[in-house]
Amino acid sequence: MTASARENVRTSPADLSTGGGSATALPPHPARRRRSRGGWKARVEIVALSAPAVVVFVTFVILPVILAGYYGFFRWKGYGPPTEFIGLRNYVVIFQDPEFRSALTHNFQIVVLSLVMQGPVAIAFALLLNKKMRGQSLIRVLIFVPYVISEAVAGIGWAMILSDRGAANGFLAKLGISGESWLADPSIAMWTLMVILTWKYIGYATILFLAGLQGIPEELHEAASIDGASYWQTQRYVVLPLLGPTLRIWAFLSIIGSLQLFDIVYIIWGQYISGTAGVSTMATYMNSNGRMSGNFGYGSAVAVVMFLVSLVIALVYQRFVLRRDTAGALTEGEG
Amino acid sequence: MKKRILSGLALGASVALLAAACSTSEEPGGSGSGGTGGEKVTLTVWENNTAGEKGPKFWQDTKAAFEKDHPNVTIEIVPVPNEDLDGKLQTAMNGGNPPDVFLQRGGGKLAEMVAAGMVADITDAIDAPDIPEGAFGAGTLNGKRYSMPMSVQPGGLWYSKDLFKEAGIDNPPTTWAEFTDAVKKLQEKDIIPVALGAKDAWPAAHWFYWFALRQCSSDTLEKASNEADLSDPCFLKAGENLKDFAAMNPFQDGFLTTPAQNTPDSADGLMSQHKAAMQLMGSWEPGAVGSLTEDGEPLPDMGFFPFPEIDGGQGQPGSMMGGMDSFSCSSKAPMPACTDFLNFLGSASVQAAFATANSAIPASSAQEAQDTVTLPALQEALAAYAKAPYVSMWLDTRLGQNIGNALNTGIVDMLAGKGSPQAIIDGANAAAAKG
Repeated sequence: MTASARENVRTSPADLSTGGGSATALPPHPARRRRSRGGWKARVEIVALSAPAVVVFVTFVILPVILAGYYGFFRWKGYGPPTEFIGLRNYVVIFQDPEFRSALTHNFQIVVLSLVMQGPVAIAFALLLNKKMRGQSLIRVLIFVPYVISEAVAGIGWAMILSDRGAANGFLAKLGISGESWLADPSIAMWTLMVILTWKYIGYATILFLAGLQGIPEELHEAASIDGASYWQTQRYVVLPLLGPTLRIWAFLSIIGSLQLFDIVYIIWGQYISGTAGVSTMATYMNSNGRMSGNFGYGSAVAVVMFLVSLVIALVYQRFVLRRDTAGALTEGEG
Repeated sequence: MKKRILSGLALGASVALLAAACSTSEEPGGSGSGGTGGEKVTLTVWENNTAGEKGPKFWQDTKAAFEKDHPNVTIEIVPVPNEDLDGKLQTAMNGGNPPDVFLQRGGGKLAEMVAAGMVADITDAIDAPDIPEGAFGAGTLNGKRYSMPMSVQPGGLWYSKDLFKEAGIDNPPTTWAEFTDAVKKLQEKDIIPVALGAKDAWPAAHWFYWFALRQCSSDTLEKASNEADLSDPCFLKAGENLKDFAAMNPFQDGFLTTPAQNTPDSADGLMSQHKAAMQLMGSWEPGAVGSLTEDGEPLPDMGFFPFPEIDGGQGQPGSMMGGMDSFSCSSKAPMPACTDFLNFLGSASVQAAFATANSAIPASSAQEAQDTVTLPALQEALAAYAKAPYVSMWLDTRLGQNIGNALNTGIVDMLAGKGSPQAIIDGANAAAAKG
């Protein structure tokens, strides 16, 4: 998942539906109700304090989404206001374009591979770091550092290391092994990308899981050991189920981030060759067929498709997976 | 990140709507403002000479010289990095506040600006006797002129004379058979025959464009560019030529992830380190490669030869392809101050200074300007350019961003073994549906 995944989740309409607190719909909590009766002063305060955030949110998130929807119906080169209305033609072209279909396929591959590759490793790291041991904080920092490094710096670094004449192949040559075309060979490039993404975002998942682990009461560990459970049995039957809510939220963030992946791919593979190398995503497709090609109407339509794909997946996930957590069924099942 | 792009798009767009609403009352090219004797006017100039010291100094000197002659005009030079320029310009135009003078790339981009009424028709105001007729070509649309050329950028093969000698190639090849022979000789000596920065796509696509220039007649090329239609079989032949050539393995390993310019691991870097023998490029090559050598000077052994002739091609022998740097006035710029400035840019002394600062070939045919071309490789390129019976603009510029971009991508796909000559043509035709 990417850093912006979190921004997006915070601001996505899907998230609003589960309670991004709106000022008018106060929950029926006695304390709150008393305050809301407190009269105009409190209301003015709420409006005044939330206004800047609401204005920024509406101007830079809601309005652009609506405008992109509007521009998606036009053939528009970006100069002057759009005039050539073409209905749904952009959308027809998008779904007929094999390039878009392969970008969409890559997105879903990244979704699945991110979950499969990052989840188990992050859980292992979190279990390890949850034990008291020497050098714990150093390991914690080392795992978290890649997440803190900016995508641009990490991307440029990896691009230089993994290029055909880069450090990786140079090192292999010294060992007498002939290197690979890590970035250019379509049969390898997707795996290269996944390793980089795992390296980059494993720290975030680990920190999340670690926080989840530390929320599990010590008494349960003691109870399990009194009942004769081994370390592994405790992890399997006590810790993992209790980690469920954290796992499900992490998976949600990871899925949304994978669907909207752009920066790392764009920086490492550049403006043109991500499709050739088999790592294009919907976002890089939007950039190359929209902005780079000067087709701003078409690009807007791609943005709308991306938005809808993410929205549908987010809503389905919230309805069927996260519902357990919101219903308070914290001890059931596992992630 | 989607949101960020969306909001960027939409912000520009909403500004555009506002601007359109505000600007309807203004007459483009507002008459009466500016002029030589009258009220004070300011001209903002967007140019792309941001690197080094020579380029920025040229613009400061030009500003000072023009302001001295025109006391009522203030010039404001705004350097914009080349890769950012098109995007910024588009936003500024949509915002209703475009720069008065700006770098013009011509071709499809110019056509879009003209269609949107953003660029001034300067046909009647041009007074630059030293600029030859042909140099205005890229900035001309439907018989009207929209830009003043600064330099011409003929393309061709730039090579290392030392490496050619090492491989036993005595004269630069002129025919395709000689050329492939030279490639084989270089390969036998373990020298990379051709450097290619395919990560940026256009350097790879130039190979296809040059094959097309040799395979297609000038009439076919003109017609295809004007109608954005590549259905003539000569384009398919060009694709097949490129496919056959790529099968010889003439490029360095990993060309797909090699950038074109600016870094030691780029294709230009391979040239500057004498690891590759030649590269197909525009006339910025000696300067661009020179900026990556240890002493920062152009390679002393660099030479130039025109793209080899191909047997059976319909193209007129000696035809050239190239680009051009030129400057346009916005339709909102104060007149005649703006066209006065463009004419000043067209004068022999300014053209000479620009060419010197950028290691470029000036558009002006005045002796003073032509004398600035001192690098042997540039002189060879200029000689071939002067003899050319037909000069085409880079095909991707000519066809416009949309189809140009699709062509470039399709060509890289084919070089990577993921497409075919027919797929290149199909991809370009499919792109037409997207914009």
